[in-house]
Amino acid sequence: MSADVAIRVRGLVTRFGTQTVHDGLDLDVRRGEILGVVGPSGTGKSVLLREIVGLDKPTGGEITFPYFEEQGIEPRLGVMFQDGALFSNLTVLENVEAPLREHTHLSAELRTEIAGLKLSMAGLGPDAHHKKPSQISGGMRKRAAVARAIALDPELLFLDEPTAGLDPISAENFDRMTEELARSLGLTVFLVTHDLDTLHAICDRVAVLYKGKVAAIGAIPEITADAKGWVKEYFSGPRGRAAKAGAAGG
Amino acid sequence: MAAFDFREDERASVLALRGDWTVDTIAGLERGLAEVSEKLKAGAVVDVSSLGRFDVAGAYLIDRTFRESAAGDKVRIAIRGEHTNAMRLLQAARKSYAGPAPPPRHFQGLKGFFDLTGRAMVSIADEIVETVGFFGETLVTIGKQIVNPRLVRPVSIVNVMEKAGLNALPIVMLLSFFIGMVVAYLGARILADFGATVFVVELVAISMLREFGVVITAVILAGRTNSSFTAEIGAMKMRQEIDAMRVIGISPMDALVVPRVIAMLLMTPILTFAAMMAGMFGGVLVCWGALDISPAMFLGRFQEVVPAQHFWVGFVKAPAFALVLAVIACKQGLSVGGDVGSLGSRVTTSVVQGIFMVILMDAIFALWFLEMDW
Repeated sequence: MSADVAIRVRGLVTRFGTQTVHDGLDLDVRRGEILGVVGPSGTGKSVLLREIVGLDKPTGGEITFPYFEEQGIEPRLGVMFQDGALFSNLTVLENVEAPLREHTHLSAELRTEIAGLKLSMAGLGPDAHHKKPSQISGGMRKRAAVARAIALDPELLFLDEPTAGLDPISAENFDRMTEELARSLGLTVFLVTHDLDTLHAICDRVAVLYKGKVAAIGAIPEITADAKGWVKEYFSGPRGRAAKAGAAGG
Repeated sequence: MAAFDFREDERASVLALRGDWTVDTIAGLERGLAEVSEKLKAGAVVDVSSLGRFDVAGAYLIDRTFRESAAGDKVRIAIRGEHTNAMRLLQAARKSYAGPAPPPRHFQGLKGFFDLTGRAMVSIADEIVETVGFFGETLVTIGKQIVNPRLVRPVSIVNVMEKAGLNALPIVMLLSFFIGMVVAYLGARILADFGATVFVVELVAISMLREFGVVITAVILAGRTNSSFTAEIGAMKMRQEIDAMRVIGISPMDALVVPRVIAMLLMTPILTFAAMMAGMFGGVLVCWGALDISPAMFLGRFQEVVPAQHFWVGFVKAPAFALVLAVIACKQGLSVGGDVGSLGSRVTTSVVQGIFMVILMDAIFALWFLEMDW
């Protein structure tokens, strides 16, 4: 069983001063799945992401990568931050090249070509290569950020609010791109979002964080079947119903 | 480690992959594969049966080898053997290949040099026009605030006066004090050869009052205040706070620029006066210690031979410098673009332009005052 768990979080506790964000949180992310993480604002979704990737240190508990530990490899992580966090003094192409330049010994030519391929996988054509992040739209910045996140072929991809601030059509295209990438590259995706359409469209499972714990986890029908309180409100409010209808219709 | 064999069997040419083909391991394979790609014929296949880990970078390299060979880029790469993700990744790499990338649009060689020079000249010209325009806009806004005092923001003004003025007082006085001592020492040493050490009083007093006090203050402010004004306003610009102010109906000229200009107009003369006094004090100490001119003698001679006009010649420059420095700092801050690089270059420009203008204006003032015999 543990062979299939890509990320295992056990008894996670996070405190900022007197405020407890995570209170004994347990979570398993299976290998190869797209897991959507939702929850009210301030329940520590982004903090959880930062702790898993090692940017923040939890107050207590442990985070392990059982599948990769069994294989004897250290999993590579790719992270897309909320507003892209592209290096603003580099061009889009140079941004994607940056991790390759730092961690591999590829020839300059091959490096550029691989970076171009990754951009193309994320849906950015060659005309965007030599632009600065400030010269492209928000949606393109997010795509470039995904391309940079997958530059080193990570096993685990973390996306923080990937569709926030995108128009519905761009958001849908972005979702499709994420799913295609995840399936074709065999990625495990940890996706923090508030976008119900994203949850319905591409997530294999959804984890709901509430009051410092995982309140519910599973495919959306499983969760909504016996939902209570916040979870029920979230999925069966007008937006939740519309997203569900959209997913069923499309 | 990644490796490969190339062989021709009875049916097709076969490229057999061994070991891990990932972004970490494929670095040394390019040259070998380039040779192989010359030998690959149409209908070539990839044998993946002893392939280990495989990723997009590895798939791309195989794809490129086939694309550049006689096997061509039209058909799908044929695969022999079993592998968990080889087929999928090769397909993904082929599908996403967007054709050769365009080179960056830079001019090379002499053309590039002229291109850069031309752009630099145009941007200097633009910069001058913009700064003069901004200067005018600032004066008009100050005028409006004088006519309509409700627009004045006393809280901002006092805040800037404290941070950029009062807090600069120690460093301004300390540096002037040292300069005063240096001038006095230098004068004492050279004037001693002529037996005219008593003229050190004039030397220190006139140089501190006319030039050093105000110029030292202005240069320190150019480094200290201009950088902070530009960085502050520039960061607000980057985070769209300026846009938010405009939308709410608060003019950044009213709320950000004019309070800073007024605060500096008020504080720079005070700092200048303090700098003059500190410099003179340094001179007094040196005269006392090294030349046996007591402070009382120093002050007596000072009153006797140094007319007040020297003080005023130095002092009137203070508000002029303050105005120009604050306007440059705010203008550069508002010119910051969306990227971090422009913030850095605008802060640099702000300080450099500030110091440049201080020294240029000081030279013009000096010429004018000397010609007027003041």
